[in-house]
Amino acid sequence: MADGELELLNGYLVVGAILFGLGMVGFLSRRNMITVFLAAEIMLQGISLSLTAWGRYHNDFGGQMLALLMIAVAACEAAVALALVLMLYQRKGSLDLFLWQDLREESVPRHIDRELPEALPEEPPAWPRLTPAGLSPEIPPEQTGYRPHV
Amino acid sequence: MFSIPSLAILIPALPLAAALVTAAFGPRVLRGRSHVPVITALALAFVASAILLGRIATSPDFRSLQDFGSLETRHGYQRIVTLWTWAAVPGMEIGGRRSEVGGEGSGLRGQVCDGAFSGRACPPLPTPNASPDFRVTIALRADPLTAVMLVTVTFVSLLVAVYSVGYMHGDPGYWRFFTYIGLFVFSMTMLVSASNFVLLYAFWEAVGLCSYLLIGFWYQKPEAAAAGKKAFLVNRVGDFGFALGIFLIWTTYGTLDFHDTMTGSGVVSPGVLGEWRLAEPGRFAGGTVGTAICLLLLLGACGKSAQLPLHVWLPDAMEGPTPVSALIHAATMVTAGVYMLARCGPLFAVSPDAQYVVAAVGGLTALVAAVIAFTQNDLKRILAYSTISQLGYMFLAMGVGTASGTVAGMFHLVTHAFFKGLLFLGAGSVMHAMAGVIDIRRLGGLRRRMPVTCVTFLIGSLALAGVVPLAGFWSKDAILAALHERASGGQAAAFYQGLYWLALATAAMTAFYAFRAFFIVFLGPEKVPPEAEEHPEKTSPWMAVPLVLLAVATIDVGMRLERTGSLERFLERAPGEEGRGEKGEGRVWQMRRDGDAERGAVAIQASFSPSPLSPLPSPHSPHLQIALWSTIASVAGIALAWLMYLGPPGAKRRLGGWMEAVGLYRLSAGKFYFDQVYEVLVVWPLQGVASAAAWLDRVVIDGLVDLVGTAPRAVGALLRPTQGGLIPIYALAMIVGVLVLLGTLLASGL
Repeated sequence: MADGELELLNGYLVVGAILFGLGMVGFLSRRNMITVFLAAEIMLQGISLSLTAWGRYHNDFGGQMLALLMIAVAACEAAVALALVLMLYQRKGSLDLFLWQDLREESVPRHIDRELPEALPEEPPAWPRLTPAGLSPEIPPEQTGYRPHV
Repeated sequence: MFSIPSLAILIPALPLAAALVTAAFGPRVLRGRSHVPVITALALAFVASAILLGRIATSPDFRSLQDFGSLETRHGYQRIVTLWTWAAVPGMEIGGRRSEVGGEGSGLRGQVCDGAFSGRACPPLPTPNASPDFRVTIALRADPLTAVMLVTVTFVSLLVAVYSVGYMHGDPGYWRFFTYIGLFVFSMTMLVSASNFVLLYAFWEAVGLCSYLLIGFWYQKPEAAAAGKKAFLVNRVGDFGFALGIFLIWTTYGTLDFHDTMTGSGVVSPGVLGEWRLAEPGRFAGGTVGTAICLLLLLGACGKSAQLPLHVWLPDAMEGPTPVSALIHAATMVTAGVYMLARCGPLFAVSPDAQYVVAAVGGLTALVAAVIAFTQNDLKRILAYSTISQLGYMFLAMGVGTASGTVAGMFHLVTHAFFKGLLFLGAGSVMHAMAGVIDIRRLGGLRRRMPVTCVTFLIGSLALAGVVPLAGFWSKDAILAALHERASGGQAAAFYQGLYWLALATAAMTAFYAFRAFFIVFLGPEKVPPEAEEHPEKTSPWMAVPLVLLAVATIDVGMRLERTGSLERFLERAPGEEGRGEKGEGRVWQMRRDGDAERGAVAIQASFSPSPLSPLPSPHSPHLQIALWSTIASVAGIALAWLMYLGPPGAKRRLGGWMEAVGLYRLSAGKFYFDQVYEVLVVWPLQGVASAAAWLDRVVIDGLVDLVGTAPRAVGALLRPTQGGLIPIYALAMIVGVLVLLGTLLASGL
């Protein structure tokens, strides 16, 4: 086996590991369900890349076969997962993963991103008032219900 | 169809079938008609018992006994029906030696059977280093003793069941009541027909169970539940002794069967009370072991028959329905102890010491219970103490040890079943009409309201008091005669003389308390509790007919049996009864007391036959002198009761003051403080131990168990916050786990 072969393998493996690592970090850190799904796909691709590289290195088609199989599985998975994501989205109107916490123990408090301050009670606006001036005019009692001058 | 074996099977089978039918269909289908199967079965069982009695009395074997007097070869009439083998355990070798078949230990060869039966073989006590085969069969026996018990039990239970139709009418547990009654009659008939000790013990417990169920029949009532529990626990003490006695019989005799059995290879293995042993009294274990067996059996009998140290359960048992008190706690079950003593008579015959104890217990119980009955105010409790007292009388008769004593005891058992059943049913009738009021201080002058009950109760009281033509007179007289005859010679004559006077005194007391109750309840000014005025209930014919029938039986049966002497002649043919007493004149029982160290192996002659100086009066001639004394005693008792409760008030005050002065009144009203003494001696220590054990259980043991449960819970509480429901956190945990795993694998040099 030539040295170039080993270096080639190393290079592919490093790229596969980087893909896997990126996918993993994405999977752990992102909250958008589709993004999380994409991150998982990236991890899969990292693995299939390293499988192909090993197959090339050993001059064996088994690795490529496995990679083809993984593509097929990933396609099926994508179909299922996207349908699932769609359903979840329709339920909550959001793709946020953290809206789904039903697996937790009952005694553990729900994770809340940040506390919103409670809405302050609205006070009625204080409009300026005119000070009353002079005496109030006297109105004859018979004119209380009916005022001919106005 | 009606051969003796089929009858013997039919008699217990009918009530059992009725109980099963009632249990299955009572709650839904039969309901208010639940009595139909039980009463039908009991009636058929009674007819079957009567036929069985007749068959035994007229069977050819039996007649040949009478005709030819072939006592040497055949010992009493008995027929065994073996249904199936219940348990069989082959004998074990101990110390490497196998007991030889046909040798001393396990039995006798068929060929030597005749020789053995004529009394020449060695006693078949088991050899110390091999235990014989343990074999328990479901064996029923038919013999005169059993037949008499069967007829008594089925007759009284039939009448009580009919009475219960009226008494229990409308009770929500109607079907339950009749199921229990059927079960009880099944157990009781099996008890008296069992032919081995294991079966006897099993049904001994079964009747105890039925008694418990029926005492606590109204289980919502706390007193009834407590009374049932008390009866069960007190009986446990006696049953423990009985069980020990059976164990001792097994180790001593190597068998538990009453009868001789023939195994397949023609080997006869003698039973405890079989013909082979009865042929010669030396074949029974005497000495210390024999006495121990007898005393343990006596303890069992004391528990069941409510004798002195263990009598405390019976008065409380009156919490049950009155028909139950009549049937179980007066007429039948409580006489099981007397029956057992009669059955095991031959064992007692070789242990005079045990016999003295039986007589002493019986006499003392008769006296003490009669004294307690003086001051009770609950009509049923008066009758309960009277039952204890009369059972004491029967024990006294069994303790006499002669055939006439045993026969007299059985005679009293039969007559007592009739008249005490009658009295209880009468009390139940009063209770039914008076809306459950049974306190005699609140009743009075009921003779006009309830004439039938009044007359039948009077007949019962007269019989209990022992007034001349009624049943109680003849049987009590027979017991007194047996005592008198035993006191006229032989060992411990003075002891029996004392018991004779004690029995006479008790007879007077019996008459007093019986008529105290009668005078207060039925004579004098009419006094009816207000509850009863609201719903005046007439005695239903279901209740009146059994009362009248029992009254007729009470009047008739004693005289008939006594004048014809039929019971006596009949019972003497029961295995183990003949050869004792007058039939054995000239046949002196040699009794070996080999366990007695002081006297060595001296054979002590003890004669249970009367001394030649006082020839026995034949059963047909009345024991005039004794009859006179007992009549004087009962009339004196009745007169005293009349004076105190119907006479001028001054007399009552003077007599009451006199009793007060001796302290008898307080002692009697306090029931001799038995309950209080047991409370201090038994209940308190047990309660102390029980609460200590309960504390230990709750705090220490439960604490340990709880700790096992708490530890995982605590660990779980530590880890629970990680279960936050956020998927990325789970993924992170997974990745960290994989990394840790990889790290360890790499670190370990893979």
